[in-house]
Amino acid sequence: MNTHDLHGRGRTGPRLGRTRLLATAGAAALVLTAGLASPLVPAAPRAHAAEGTQAGKDGKDGKDGKDGKVLTVAVAQSVDSLSPFLAVRLLSTSIHRLTYEYLTNYDPKDAHVVPGLATKWEPSPDKLTWTYTIRSDSKWSDGQQATAEDAAWTFNKMMTDQGAATANGSFVNNFEKVTAPSPTQLVIRLKKPQATMTALDVPIVPKHVWEKVDDFSEFNNDKSFPVVGNGPFVLTAYKPDSYVRLKANKDFWRGAPKFDELVFRYYKDQDAAVAALRKGEVSFVAGSPALTPAQAASLKGEKDIRVNEGPGRRFYALATNPGAQARNGKKFGDGHPSLLDERVRHALFMAVDRKTIVDKVFQGHAVEGQGYIPPRYPTYFWEPSGNRRLAYDPAKAAELLDRAGYRANADGKRVGKDGKPLNYRVLCHATDPNDKAVGKYLQEWWGGLGIGVTLDCLDNVTDPWLAGKYDLAFDGWSVNPDPDFVLSIHTCAALPATPKDTGATDNFICDKTYDELYAKQLAEYDPAERANLVKQMESRLYDLGYMNVMAYPNAVEAYRTDQIESITTMPAEAGNIYGQDGYWSWWSAVPADSDDSSGGSASTGVVIGIVAGVVVLAGLAGLFAMRRRATAEDRE
Amino acid sequence: MTADTTATPGPRTLTRQRRRASAARFWKQYRTHRAGVVGLAALVLCVLVALTAPLTVGADVRSVTDAPGGPLESPSARFPLGTDQFGRSLLGLVIWGSRVSLLVGLLAAVLSVAIGTLIGITAGHFRGWYATVMMRITDWFLVMPTLVLAIALATVMSRSLGTIVVAIGVTTWPTTARLVRAQTLAVESRPYIERAKALGGGHWHVMSRHVLPNVMPLVLAQTTLIISTAILTEATLAFLGLGDPTGVSWGGLLQDAREAGAVSSGDWWYLVPPGIAIAVVALAFTLCGRAVESVLNPRLGVSR
Repeated sequence: MNTHDLHGRGRTGPRLGRTRLLATAGAAALVLTAGLASPLVPAAPRAHAAEGTQAGKDGKDGKDGKDGKVLTVAVAQSVDSLSPFLAVRLLSTSIHRLTYEYLTNYDPKDAHVVPGLATKWEPSPDKLTWTYTIRSDSKWSDGQQATAEDAAWTFNKMMTDQGAATANGSFVNNFEKVTAPSPTQLVIRLKKPQATMTALDVPIVPKHVWEKVDDFSEFNNDKSFPVVGNGPFVLTAYKPDSYVRLKANKDFWRGAPKFDELVFRYYKDQDAAVAALRKGEVSFVAGSPALTPAQAASLKGEKDIRVNEGPGRRFYALATNPGAQARNGKKFGDGHPSLLDERVRHALFMAVDRKTIVDKVFQGHAVEGQGYIPPRYPTYFWEPSGNRRLAYDPAKAAELLDRAGYRANADGKRVGKDGKPLNYRVLCHATDPNDKAVGKYLQEWWGGLGIGVTLDCLDNVTDPWLAGKYDLAFDGWSVNPDPDFVLSIHTCAALPATPKDTGATDNFICDKTYDELYAKQLAEYDPAERANLVKQMESRLYDLGYMNVMAYPNAVEAYRTDQIESITTMPAEAGNIYGQDGYWSWWSAVPADSDDSSGGSASTGVVIGIVAGVVVLAGLAGLFAMRRRATAEDRE
Repeated sequence: MTADTTATPGPRTLTRQRRRASAARFWKQYRTHRAGVVGLAALVLCVLVALTAPLTVGADVRSVTDAPGGPLESPSARFPLGTDQFGRSLLGLVIWGSRVSLLVGLLAAVLSVAIGTLIGITAGHFRGWYATVMMRITDWFLVMPTLVLAIALATVMSRSLGTIVVAIGVTTWPTTARLVRAQTLAVESRPYIERAKALGGGHWHVMSRHVLPNVMPLVLAQTTLIISTAILTEATLAFLGLGDPTGVSWGGLLQDAREAGAVSSGDWWYLVPPGIAIAVVALAFTLCGRAVESVLNPRLGVSR
């Protein structure tokens, strides 16, 4: 359930560890609900209870309420914050995509940059001054005009207020000055050239609403509804871990969405969400992070349900602790010293059969891992060639370990420099079944080399992660069309300032060659040359052996065709629906004619409830009878 | 017996004889409880299966890399209970899982009963503030929902078998403590305890030589009953994902099934066997416990 934030974060922001932490706070309670809710009739009563409260809210709002076409999406991820300045999780940032316009957007067909709030953009000859033309047909939902002044205020706030820079600060680090000479003109002056100027994924907020906010690091934007925005939907209600409700913005400049309402409803248990989809209580299930192979297979034959599978934006990797350190040079954490040896890392790399992981764990719903960026982005996709490739070869891995001086003792266990047998702690997410499954394989593969593996499955991996107290860890990120962010998290600059701070770093990697390439690509405006630099970075990362990208999991999701007639995937050919780079899917979704399933599901729920009640009563009666007999026996 | 035979072998032989006789009497009475015999038979069978698992299915049954089947195959002649998502035989896994479930159940019950007995006897023996404090602590644990407490414990400690044992053990002892204390109070009010004290028997002597043997039957019955609770709790914790992620246990199998999406896909063979196994073993222990209880409980015994 919480896996989406680690794998599914498509956005810039601080480190993934922290988001995982937030996701898993109060783990016991969640686990309990998940556990209690999971047996065979899971969702019906809960879902209906939720519907009741929502209906109440609708009444209060007094607007379109129940008559409109409602698109219900089952989600598992919690919202970290509804403030665009703080939110980093996939669900929250998707909601911001829907409620605020960004300067630019990505085309659903091939992800090239298309106009958003800006209709046009032009760099100066020295590429240091960028002028954006802001559209004049976008209105805030309270009736005011959205202008360049709003955009300038948003960027300036992020540049001056540390609290407002939490989520998207990396975009404005290099900004010198942002001004709005006229309501339709936004001018950004840069200190150095920056390649991401047409991919500024920053929600533009209304100045007249947000200038009243005092503390941006605390304000979560979840107190007064509806929230003023100018995206295709307007946020109208939110209850933590229960639902998020959005109403269509009929005045949206690109055209009004076809559904009147969009509801993200929480199902902490994926089986419950699938059951709700079968019954028609929800229209769409994304899975967290994807439907399991068994679920996808069983839904495929179902009437009125379509399973959509597209190449994922994520990579799924095994990250090695390179000896955690801070920017001030202080080392911390307790990563195994043997992992500092590149030969050991390569040996571990070579003892992982990525093909088996794709075939057995993902059962084909993934692509074998190569470089850092998934093949979904062919411009930046890189794969190792020839003898640089660290293919599955346990014999060679054993040889490498021997050469590195980690020889097996009499029991067949490899011994470290301190004389103790090698045993690596692998940090895994208790919430992600794939982690546990791959962990079982690692145990056997590395066990074959004579290396022990302790699988440390935690609900909250953040604390040990931030403290550098792990040897290896399961890791994953969603990659944006512009790869700048996922590349930036491996630079030395992303390390925490001191061991006590939290840096943007993913895995404490700090490599000079990599950093030089990173700076070069960020300043490179020529797309081909930049792609070339990015590939060199990926190659460098691969050779270092700190990040073993095992697979690129597919997005496996399902929706009801009797509720959603059509929906845009991204990319258009065999793309995904949930977690796109843009608002295309929900904005474009067309309701099907017969959208009357809630009544049917209610009656199913009642029937199941009655049956369950009868069974329980019968059981109780039987038990009671037995007890009476037993006591009678005792008495005789 | 004549005087000279008792003189040399001493009271020890006598005690032994008495014990043997009472064991025989116990067994004779136990046999009259049909449910208890059925439960015992089921238990013996389960224990045999668990103990011989390395010979019958072998440790390789857990291996994911050498899994013989395809993912989630339905039951067939080759895999009588089908396969899991890695292609491992579920029959083998259920058999292998019995080892963990039984072991954890036994250890946790022993731990729980040990804590309960210790606190119960001391609280019954030393009256006054010590007993008050101990009983208030017991009350506190008694009103705490066991599962929540166990989940909290299992969350903060590392995920391993030991953690589960401890988590169950330290949360289920209060009932035992209460029972044992009541029995201790009853025993200590008997005249021979007073005599022992008058002859110079100290606290330790009274507690270990007189009270403990007298509460032992109760403790035994309680242990048998707690084992089934412990097995259920272990399965629950494992099902909630708090068990050892790489081990194979019945609760863990249910958790794997849930995570693989077997519930909504209708792959019943993944869910039903471990579920039935848990139910059968828990039931068997309960039946045994009830039978032992009714044999040993004086009030029920007399009326028979």
